[in-house]
Amino acid sequence: MDPTISDDAVGRLPIASGRAELLEEIMSTPVTDRPTAPAATPRGRTTWLVPLAAAAAVAAVATGPLWWPSGDGSTPGPGDGPAAQGSPTAGSGSGSEPQAPADDATYRAVLDMPGWTVTHVYEEAGGNGGEISYERGEALLEVTWRPGSLHDDYVEDRRHIVDPPADGAPLQVLGLTAQRWSYSADDHTVIRPVEDGFTLEVRGSGMPLSGFEDLLDDLRLVDEAGLENALPDTFVTTSERDAVVEEMLDGIAAASGQERVAGEERPAITSEQADRYHLGAEVAGQVACAWIEEFRAARQAGDEERAQEAVDVLASSRQWPVLREMDARGDYPEAIWDYADEVARGEVPEGFRGGLGC
Amino acid sequence: MSPGSGARDGPREDEFRRLYAAHFDAVLGFALRRVDRPEDAADITADTFLVAWRRLAHVPAEPEARPWLYGVARRVLANQRRGEGRRSALGDRLRRELATVAPDPSADVVQRADVTAAMRRLSGRDQEVLELHLWEGLEPREIAEVLGLSTVVVRPRLSRARARLRALLPDGPEPPGNGPEPPRNGPATAGHLPSTPQLTRKER
Repeated sequence: MDPTISDDAVGRLPIASGRAELLEEIMSTPVTDRPTAPAATPRGRTTWLVPLAAAAAVAAVATGPLWWPSGDGSTPGPGDGPAAQGSPTAGSGSGSEPQAPADDATYRAVLDMPGWTVTHVYEEAGGNGGEISYERGEALLEVTWRPGSLHDDYVEDRRHIVDPPADGAPLQVLGLTAQRWSYSADDHTVIRPVEDGFTLEVRGSGMPLSGFEDLLDDLRLVDEAGLENALPDTFVTTSERDAVVEEMLDGIAAASGQERVAGEERPAITSEQADRYHLGAEVAGQVACAWIEEFRAARQAGDEERAQEAVDVLASSRQWPVLREMDARGDYPEAIWDYADEVARGEVPEGFRGGLGC
Repeated sequence: MSPGSGARDGPREDEFRRLYAAHFDAVLGFALRRVDRPEDAADITADTFLVAWRRLAHVPAEPEARPWLYGVARRVLANQRRGEGRRSALGDRLRRELATVAPDPSADVVQRADVTAAMRRLSGRDQEVLELHLWEGLEPREIAEVLGLSTVVVRPRLSRARARLRALLPDGPEPPGNGPEPPRNGPATAGHLPSTPQLTRKER
């Protein structure tokens, strides 16, 4: 069979009988999940789809205008308490995030092994987990930390790596007995039991099992500061982050022809990302989302001037320095540019919040 | 209405028939593009839909159903590769029919042969993310669902894989060719349009 046969061509294959018979065969087999509530959130939401980025940032940006949208009077006024709620800025400490662990909890893990390069790091806001990736040539090691409540879901999912589904092979990881499964001879994953409220999963690809097990011995548990210290200089530290965000916002404002007054954003545009790509995605994404919202509101209000302003600012996104920098690493900028094109055509992009992670 | 739906069918059966009708070609296509022998694709398709039938309450609503099914098919495929041709208990007729169908030389393909050949020279990780993008027509968010990763991981990974693929093509970023535009696979979803048309799927 042609390895690249299209679905349309598949649909024309003379297999109608086999197709119909298979359907009836399947539906004659016993069902095991009938008691499950049909509308329940599928287990797959937690096991197949890792929670989307920037969940806290959604709340931060969804509630008010930024400095440049003129607003229509229905949005909070200047005295309505800027940047108060939902802002994930460091030091907020308001107690509104009950599950956020202490900064010195050592549930993250880093790799201490020369020759491996950090290629990616990402942490969700509010102590909802994170991940760090390392590469050496074609080999890749991904370390993910998740809230302990997700441990059983992930184990259940990984049990299906083997047929019949089974627990993983026991393996010591950072002092605890973890479970290991192999997707193939050179692709393995291990899940560590919950400790300090978090579970670790480590996946190694492009390496034999023995090499994977050796690397596990070189992992080290760290707290937030330890993670930051383990990152190369190209990553943004906590002390540098505010300045980098300011620089990104200034660049966006300049490219869009706006005169920005620092600190006027309402609510504040913030991020906790150390990786410039993800930091840029959260900053530019929040800006783009606000302008798309502005466009929608202006259209609904019949305010063509405001709508055109939003079109113009979004059209300038191809010149936003932060997006031009990110373009070399991933497709997030293209997502914003596509949405800008849709807005320019007079359309509110469907599902833009999901697409931009805002 | 789906063919064969009768009065004896309840809501569950109707729901599954709809799922099967909407995604059978895509799941079988997913399998056919990844196996050496067409009849093996019958096993993967049968086991994938068997999982969906047994766990119908866990199948997410559209448009996430297809990435979910691809994720199941991916795991079934991995199991089959480990089991060296273990056969499904179901789908005998489909297996026989697939074993005898001759590839249609004029069949639509999802990409040109030189791109396929270049993809084979990439790492398994790069191949997988490119296949899901170019063959199944998934956008990064959907690929993330299939692979169980987050979108922010998939986006740069896909971008790097495309760059590596471009570097392997004989004429650089713009592969030669004057053939017809590759047909599209996958559901039409709003998404991220590519910057290099030959290496990315067309959407809409």
